[in-house]
Amino acid sequence: MRFYILFASLFFTIFFSNRAFSFYTPSISANALFLYQNSNFHKEDANPLNLDEKPNGFDVQETELQFYSDVDPYTRLSLLLSVAPHYVTDGVKISHEWGIEPEEAFAESNVISDVTLKIGKFKGAMGKHNTLHPHAYPFIGAPLANDKLLGDEGFKDAGVSAAVLVPTSWFNEITLQYLKGKGDNSEFNSPAAAQGVGLVHWKNLFDLTDSTTFEIGGSFAQGGNSFRQTTALSGADLTLKWRPSEGGKYTSFLLAAEYLSRKQSQAGLTDEIGNGLASWIQYQFAQRWTVSYRYDDLGIKNTFDPNLLPNGTITRNSLGLIFAPSEFSSYKFEYNQTHDTRLNADQDDTEKSIFLQANFTIGAHPTHSY
Amino acid sequence: MKKLIIIFCCLPTFCFAKIQVATTTTDLASIVREVGLDKVEVFSIAKGTQDPHDIPAKPSFMVKLRSTDLVIAQGAELESAWINPLIQGSRNPKLMAKDGFYELAAELDPIEVPKGNISRADGDIHPGGNPHFQLDPMRLGKAALLIADRLSSISPGDKDFFLKNAQKFQTLMNDKLKNWKDRIKKTGITEAVTYHKTFSYFCDRFEIKCDVQLEPKPGIPPTPSHTLSVVNQMKKRNIKLVLIENLYEDSVAPKLKQEVPNILIDVVPVSVEGEPGISTNEKLIERLVMAFEKGKK
Repeated sequence: MRFYILFASLFFTIFFSNRAFSFYTPSISANALFLYQNSNFHKEDANPLNLDEKPNGFDVQETELQFYSDVDPYTRLSLLLSVAPHYVTDGVKISHEWGIEPEEAFAESNVISDVTLKIGKFKGAMGKHNTLHPHAYPFIGAPLANDKLLGDEGFKDAGVSAAVLVPTSWFNEITLQYLKGKGDNSEFNSPAAAQGVGLVHWKNLFDLTDSTTFEIGGSFAQGGNSFRQTTALSGADLTLKWRPSEGGKYTSFLLAAEYLSRKQSQAGLTDEIGNGLASWIQYQFAQRWTVSYRYDDLGIKNTFDPNLLPNGTITRNSLGLIFAPSEFSSYKFEYNQTHDTRLNADQDDTEKSIFLQANFTIGAHPTHSY
Repeated sequence: MKKLIIIFCCLPTFCFAKIQVATTTTDLASIVREVGLDKVEVFSIAKGTQDPHDIPAKPSFMVKLRSTDLVIAQGAELESAWINPLIQGSRNPKLMAKDGFYELAAELDPIEVPKGNISRADGDIHPGGNPHFQLDPMRLGKAALLIADRLSSISPGDKDFFLKNAQKFQTLMNDKLKNWKDRIKKTGITEAVTYHKTFSYFCDRFEIKCDVQLEPKPGIPPTPSHTLSVVNQMKKRNIKLVLIENLYEDSVAPKLKQEVPNILIDVVPVSVEGEPGISTNEKLIERLVMAFEKGKK
């Protein structure tokens, strides 16, 4: 029901936004991700007694509704609602339900020199990939480390943020954030009232030539966890981008790597340490075509999760091909091979998956960050 | 004495500080140089060889915009995909204010303003009209006056200086226009094919019919079926000149040459600095007029 009310509201907003009220209505966009997947670790006919969150077959992966506008001369507001399906079982049958949640809802300052202040719920500046929305992911899924150490929806929470542009000749930004620590992320879900999460991110970007940029960033976050102890995250990211200033519509290249580490403490137990690296390349060989490859891994020592082996390692290779008819639509074909500590029904420890994702955007969607 | 030394040292900064201007395109930067001369420092975000619809919003531009007094854009949604994130990222309150960001197209009598319901099914349509006014000498002259006016609001003491320079530029454009018109008329060329609707203002001014584009729809690359329809149009209407903006691939050129006999396909710059030696708006239009003269031969 909420789903229909939301779309009815959107329809009327768009209807009026096309007319004299456009000055007063915010910029609105919607994005839809449709996904077909097939893996030797999943089945199409789901078992109500052993729920599979990612069954084989076709589904709506996620839809997003985004609204943004200046509030007044001092502030701008962004609201991003995520509408996604999920499976629920009562032990007899599985139902397909839809959930709506504010993925991000924040206000930012417009008029302060050298600083952007932000308040609301937002994606924490923990590395580079964590700040992306799913439709902007370079591959179908997030890197293993992001997925397992920050949660499948990434590290996001309510809080405050200050991003300071340091006065240097290159882009040098320091972001300080304080997050509530009571959000969707179990690693920071402290039962103590005042235990939030402090985060610092340092981003540097250099123009090596007119066509090439090199970005290097570092992040650190620490806060109370659900075991009444401390969780610390640290990360580093590197990105090299080449897009020639002549013919850049037709060819480009990206090389990126991101490292993420999480250390969790629990009274009476050895600290759990997880760390993973993802590195990928993307090569655009024609105006509409890009190929990509990613290697990523994740190792967890002394895990607190009783469902996992105490010291496990996962590695994955992903190969992708993207066809983008325009900047508002794309089709992504991807093959993943994952070596895991898990075994499937055939006692195979290598998961082989194929994905076909269609990605569509309508309306005034804001530009993704560089 | 100390105070006098400090005042003396700071005086040049206050008296001779140049207005810092950023433009979205090299064409606008060239006009700003003509109008502002040594009282203005200007840089262009897009290069003359880049498609201004699609510029990467590099954070390094945010650093440059941090100390900028004014950003001048062509407007009509040409730069809308990338200029706002750059201005926001610069964290420069001057640019967030009403007078800090200036779009020109709406004040230059835009053409090809779509009527009725428009959608992206029609390609990359600009609701504000065609933004590529940089190839019309008349509009360039008027743009110089508008820029002079905006620079004067930042430095009122230099109003006469800016106005005089803008008028000089406008006079040059008007004088050259007559010469360019005569030369194009002499070529006898009345129709040309272009890749994108970049030449609409140019063709409008020089009375050339340019309604056939290699793009099936704005922003959509040529398809085999559309290229065939272009070939048929060229044969039917005896069109012998094809201008391909050097921002785009000329991969359809061999097909056109094969199918339509005796045609000239010229890959041309459509912005200042789009080619070596094209350092001013005047030289850019001169280069395009020469393309027509070459088409005649």
